[in-house]
Amino acid sequence: MFKGLSLFLLLISLTVRAEQWPGEQWPIAPQITGPAVEALESYAFAPRNDATREGIRTDALLIVHDGQIIYERYAAPTTAQTPHLTWSISKSLLATVLGVAYGEGRFKLDDPALKFYPALDKHPAITLGHLLNWASGLDWQEDYEYAPLKSSVVAMLYTRGHRDMAAFTAAHDSYAAAGQAFRYSSGDSNLLAAALKTMVGPERYADYPWTALFEPLGIRHAVWESDASGTFVASSYAYLTARDLARVGLLMARGGRWNDRQLLPEDWVAFNLKPFAVYKAQQDEAVPGGHWWLNRPVDGAPSPWPDAPPDTFAALGHWGQALYVMPSEKLVIVRYGDDRDGSYKHNELLKRVLQAVRP
Amino acid sequence: MRRFLLLLLVVLLGWGWYERENLWAFPDIISAYTAKEYCSCRYVMKNDAGYCRGYVKQWLPTSGFTDDASSKTITVSGLGRSHSAQWLSERQGCRLNP
Repeated sequence: MFKGLSLFLLLISLTVRAEQWPGEQWPIAPQITGPAVEALESYAFAPRNDATREGIRTDALLIVHDGQIIYERYAAPTTAQTPHLTWSISKSLLATVLGVAYGEGRFKLDDPALKFYPALDKHPAITLGHLLNWASGLDWQEDYEYAPLKSSVVAMLYTRGHRDMAAFTAAHDSYAAAGQAFRYSSGDSNLLAAALKTMVGPERYADYPWTALFEPLGIRHAVWESDASGTFVASSYAYLTARDLARVGLLMARGGRWNDRQLLPEDWVAFNLKPFAVYKAQQDEAVPGGHWWLNRPVDGAPSPWPDAPPDTFAALGHWGQALYVMPSEKLVIVRYGDDRDGSYKHNELLKRVLQAVRP
Repeated sequence: MRRFLLLLLVVLLGWGWYERENLWAFPDIISAYTAKEYCSCRYVMKNDAGYCRGYVKQWLPTSGFTDDASSKTITVSGLGRSHSAQWLSERQGCRLNP
């Protein structure tokens, strides 16, 4: 009897110990060390030249294993307290906010976007699901620096579109039928941000990312900039500390569950992680799901990051911002950077992280 | 040769007309970009002024940079255009002024 009870207590304590969650602070485990960690650091934190801005320039690298921080390093001026610009990671954050609204029954994936954003009346066939797959069919040019004259993104953020980014997007012509072709578009993300305003109502909208997502996750210092019409710049302008972004990664790693609360419906997360069917291999740097990037083999081509497990997925942003999630390895990795050239490679970082965390 | 130059001129003018919206907006990019991203670097990410000046540096020149710390408003000129961005609140960060 006594033996049975102690075994029972042991099992209970094991299940309790098995799942760590951040409370006000992250649990900290013994930090990883050794030659593989040095190899990771020599890649991520190479000597930095702020005059030429060449090479790999990591601002923050945070590794969470099984809900506990096992590695954390920053490069000045970024610190653990810096709400760092996430650029296009914002898109996946918006998808996560939308997941909460989806769980509240506010929309369905095959709802026409027009239903929530009337300015799309020229494009009635576009559904919310199409926008989440970056498949609006709108004739959008995503280049930042290399084609500033033609770039829809530059025009949206800084010139003709900045007052009302969704309206600027909706005014584009289409080049393909909605849902029939993948083309990465910051405009699609901002149409979703505008649709959210109608879904939750204008009174709740300005606080909705906080009430729906940030506060339940214990994120205390999020910034999300909006355009002059009050619509969140979902394409580009959310700011989080590395530790706070890792909370979103842990939520996704655990299937949309935060402690005992299923914050995101399971079918929502399944949609996020389902490769978009009409995507063709090599069209982009990773495989698009529902506003997240997947490391999945497509069309017989190898997965985008061959040294990482195929269940790896990520939120990615300009100048090297990344939130990587590897559910099978129980890993969440935040990497902030200021890479001004193309020398940083996701696969190389992930390979070195995996070597550093494996005993 | 003159016919060729004439043809080139016609093509250029045609291209200019076709791209008139983009060409007219182009000189706004550098001052708008610098004002907005400096504002966020300085007042959202709370980095120091020297770092933020380097952070927003691009290949196009700017002039007339001012940062009014009391209203957290940055005004930048470049290529004959001027733009400003302002910090609004802890949650809203910065926005390019209309």
